[in-house]
Amino acid sequence: MRAALLGLGVGLALADSSIVTLALPEILGEFDVSITNVAWVLTSFNLVLAALAVPAAYIARRRPREAFAVGIVVFVGASLACGLAPEFEVLLGARCVQAVGAALIVTAALDLLSTTLGSDVRTIGVWVTAGIVGAALGPAAGGVLTQVLGWESIFLVQVPVALVLLAALRGLEAKPLPEPAGRPQLTANVALLFVSGGLVAALFLIVLLLVDGWGMSPAAAGLVVTVMPAAAIVVTRFRPRSLGVRTGVASGVILVAGGLAALAFMPRAGWAWTIPPQILVGVGLGLALAGLTELALAGRADQVVHGGWTLAARHAGVVLGLLLLAPVLTTALEESRDEAIRAGAAEVLDSRIPPLDKLRVAQDVLDEVARADDAGELPDVERAFEDRPDDEDYGALVSGLQEQLDRAISSAFSGPFLLAAALALAALVPVAVMRRRTA
Amino acid sequence: MKRALPLLVAVGLAAAVLVPYLALGGASFEPTPVADPCAFREWRDPGDLEEALEQIALSALDGAACELGVSREDLVLAVRNEEALEEFADEHGISREDAEQAVRDGMLRAVDDAEEAGAIGESVASLARRVVESVPPWLVLETLESLEFLLP
Repeated sequence: MRAALLGLGVGLALADSSIVTLALPEILGEFDVSITNVAWVLTSFNLVLAALAVPAAYIARRRPREAFAVGIVVFVGASLACGLAPEFEVLLGARCVQAVGAALIVTAALDLLSTTLGSDVRTIGVWVTAGIVGAALGPAAGGVLTQVLGWESIFLVQVPVALVLLAALRGLEAKPLPEPAGRPQLTANVALLFVSGGLVAALFLIVLLLVDGWGMSPAAAGLVVTVMPAAAIVVTRFRPRSLGVRTGVASGVILVAGGLAALAFMPRAGWAWTIPPQILVGVGLGLALAGLTELALAGRADQVVHGGWTLAARHAGVVLGLLLLAPVLTTALEESRDEAIRAGAAEVLDSRIPPLDKLRVAQDVLDEVARADDAGELPDVERAFEDRPDDEDYGALVSGLQEQLDRAISSAFSGPFLLAAALALAALVPVAVMRRRTA
Repeated sequence: MKRALPLLVAVGLAAAVLVPYLALGGASFEPTPVADPCAFREWRDPGDLEEALEQIALSALDGAACELGVSREDLVLAVRNEEALEEFADEHGISREDAEQAVRDGMLRAVDDAEEAGAIGESVASLARRVVESVPPWLVLETLESLEFLLP
C-alpha cells in the first residue's frame, strides 16, 4: 500500500511534465498570449525540474520524510495557484514552484521506496515505471479534464490526490544517512537525456496527432495511448534475467527509435495504426529507461542523489525534445496546410459536382480553413457542405477532401517523429562508450 | 554472438513494423501532388454545354498556369476574388495585370481549342470570347453562371 502511494506520488508529480499539452489552446485563449509563450507552461515545469532535481535530492537524502511532506505541501500550494491564476505570469510562476515540489516528491520517494521495498532493483522498477505511466497518461488526463471541467481543473484535482499521499509517511522510519554521493554516471545520464528527448515525441506527438490531428476525443485518445505504458510495465516486470542490462538498454533504444520511425511512416490515418509502433516504443522505454537508471545508480552509495541526476537528465531531455520538435512541427504544419489546400483545390476541380458550383465550394472550404485557423481547431470539411445536396458526387468530394486533410496532418508529424527517432538513436553513442569502458 | 542476439531481435521487431508500413505507402502518405499544368490533359467528350464550358475553363487555367509557372490549383485559388489575385501577384513577383492577361490568354486559347474540337458551336464560342475579354478573371465564372439559362 505504501509503495503504491509512493508510486502514485511519482506518477502524479511527473504527469505534470506533460499534463497541460491538450490544455494549451484553451490557456492561450484565456490569457491572450502568443503560441511561443504559452508553450512555456509546459517547458518551464520541465526546465525547473531538470535544474533542481539534484539539489532536491541532496535535501531528500538527509531528511526523506520531511522532504516528501514539504514537497507535497509546495506542490499542493502551487497547484492551487495554477488553477486560480488570474494572469499568465502567475500561472508560469506557479508552474515553476510546482516543479520544485515535484523534484522533492520524486527524489524523496526514491529513498522511501527503497526503505519500503528493500530491493534496489524493485525500487528502481517501481520508481521508473511510475514516472513513465504518469508522463504517458498526463496528456490524455489533462485533455479529458479540460474538455469536461476546463483547464483549471487539471491543477485543482491534483490537490486532494496529493494530500492523500501524505498517508504514505505514517509509521515510516528513516534510514541512516548514506555515504557521500560521489560523481554521477555520465554516460548513463547522457543516454537518458537522449532517450527522454525521443520520449517527448512518443508522449506529446501521438496525443496531439490523435486529438488535434485526427479529431479523437481526449478520453478515447487516452485509452489508445495506454498501450505504451502498459507495454513498458509488462517488459519491466518480465524482463528476462539472462538479458544483460547494457544489452537490454541498447535493444530498448533500437525499439524506441524503430517505433518512432514507424509512427513517421503510418500508411493511413487512424488510431489502430499507432498501436504496433506504440508497443515497440513502450517495450523499448521499459528496457532503456529502467536499464539506464539501474546503470546510473549501480554501486552508488547514495541512490537518492544519483536518482536526482537521472531525473535531471530525463527532464533536460524533455526540454531538449520540446525545444527541437515544437518549431519543426509548427513549420511542417504550415507547409502541409498549403499543400492540403492545393490538393483540396485539385479534388474540387476534378470532382463530378456541377461545374458552376466548384469555385463556390472552393471558397467555402477556404473559409472553413480560415475559421478553423482562427479558432485553433481542425477544419470541419462537412461544415463547408452544409447547404449542399447530400448526393453521391458531393459525398465523394467530402471524402476526397477529408482524405487530403488526413494526409496533410499525418505527413506534418512525420518529420518530428523522425527527428525524435534520431534523438533516441543518439543514445546508442554513450551506451557504446559505456560498453567499451566496461569491456 | 550471444550478446548480439537481443540487438538483432530488436532490429527484427522494428523492421517487422516499419517494413510493412513502408510497403503500404507510409513514405508517400501526404497530400496528393498537383498535376503539371504544362502536361497534356486529355479532352473528355462533353455530354452537354455545361461540361464543355467546364473543360474550357480547366484547360484555360492549365494554359495560364503553365505560362506563369504555377500550378492550376494555385491559379484557381488566386482568381476566386480580387484580393486573392493581388496576393498571388505579389507572391510570385508579377503584376496583377500580367496575371489577369495570362488567365485571359489561356481562356481564349481554350475556347479556340474547344471550338476546333467541335465541343462547342460558333455562337457559344463567340459569346465565351466576349465574356473572357470583357470581365475580370475572378468574375468569369460568376458570368458563366449567368449562362445557366442556356443549359439543358
